[in-house]
Amino acid sequence: MKAKPKIALFQCQWCLYSESDQYWVDHKLPPSIHLTKTSCTGRINPLYILNAIQGGVDGVMISGCLPEKCHFKEGNLNALRQHDAFVNLLDYIGFERDRIRFVWLDLQDRGRIQQELSAFEAFLADLPPSKPLATRVSASIGGVND
Amino acid sequence: MTELISKLRTEIEKLFSEDRIDVFIAFKGADSPLRPQPAFYRAGNDLENLEYNSLCQNNLGNYLTRYPNETRIGMVVRGCESRTVNALLVEKQHLRENLTLIGIPCQGIVDIRKLIKRTGEEITAYSEHQNKVTIKYQEKKHTFAKQDVLHDSCLRCLHPNPVNADFLIGEPLPEGDPSLVREKVETFEALSKDKRYEWFSQEAERCIRCYACREACPMCYCTECFVDHNQPRWTESSITSAGTHAWHIIRAFHQAGRCTSCGACERACPVDIKMTYLTDKLNEDILEIYSFEAGMDGETQPPFAAFNMDDKKRFVV
Repeated sequence: MKAKPKIALFQCQWCLYSESDQYWVDHKLPPSIHLTKTSCTGRINPLYILNAIQGGVDGVMISGCLPEKCHFKEGNLNALRQHDAFVNLLDYIGFERDRIRFVWLDLQDRGRIQQELSAFEAFLADLPPSKPLATRVSASIGGVND
Repeated sequence: MTELISKLRTEIEKLFSEDRIDVFIAFKGADSPLRPQPAFYRAGNDLENLEYNSLCQNNLGNYLTRYPNETRIGMVVRGCESRTVNALLVEKQHLRENLTLIGIPCQGIVDIRKLIKRTGEEITAYSEHQNKVTIKYQEKKHTFAKQDVLHDSCLRCLHPNPVNADFLIGEPLPEGDPSLVREKVETFEALSKDKRYEWFSQEAERCIRCYACREACPMCYCTECFVDHNQPRWTESSITSAGTHAWHIIRAFHQAGRCTSCGACERACPVDIKMTYLTDKLNEDILEIYSFEAGMDGETQPPFAAFNMDDKKRFVV
């Protein structure tokens, strides 16, 4: 059986309005999904996304709040501008932009994060295995960083 | 001494005698005729070795951030340098009232590598006249058309005239051709995805991590760069491919909406890595989406600092 695609999930800690969703993300995520909780999508430096890609994930998903719902008023607007340009740049140097996906969640989107993740997983599973930029070598086999 | 330099000298002397500046940043002749160095003149200093020609490689805007805001700085600026100064002013790196800018419409910077490629390393004299460049190599004189030896980023320069100079020396030049800017980005974009990645990694992996590009770049003025940070370590700082890729991507990305396309990074690179194709692309994106061009005025905030609710309609998943 083919291994499940690895996903790095960056989640804004305010974006899941329903408690059950947050519980699921915190405790029931499948092992192929790596969760990084941040205080706001605006806190996600493009470098974090690049680090995840270099570490060998198949896809990066970023979930945040809708523009007017941001806990910090405008953090996600900042994130949108930066991440837009960053994904453009990555695409320009040959990394498929589809491997990075944004989900902007609203109050009524109960359970949507699970659907989005499984859809993303199915999408990634169909992609060819080549992974540009996944260049980091783990320390256990002679790399300098993990 | 050319006419330009003597004019420049009188202006600098005037500024010092009127006590309008504390320090004047310009270029001086050095041991090698190919490499004039940045010079910092104070009142009473001898201006004998003042130099200005097409070999002045540095972007002098780089030194603006090294002085406190109270220092009254005089500076000679070309097109790209004046835009750099504007971009730095937007980021509150100095006060406009403490700056006196002498503008020179720029005819382009000569790429030393192109000269050396045509002759050899031991060039002993350099002179220029209008569109001709004359060098002395092994006791023989060689003359080239300036256009052939200009640096790549100067060939596709859009605004050769200073945009915010207090006064100009020389006549304003015609603006550049925007289609030339696209050329390099276009040829890169025309390649397939794999080819683009291959090209990028080949260029990036030649990097020796000397950070000359960072030091030469006037917009890279952080006191602690993300690559120097080691608690936590954001990226590998050795010359592994992961490290060099990350450096080149993030370095370029930090210039998004701030780069003024002066090409100082490429000129500073000891192993001749091409990097302006990355920043040019980012500039193009920023111009397309936000209609913003870095450094064209001293007030408009760059797009990453000026987000607002109007972006809302762009939130589509």
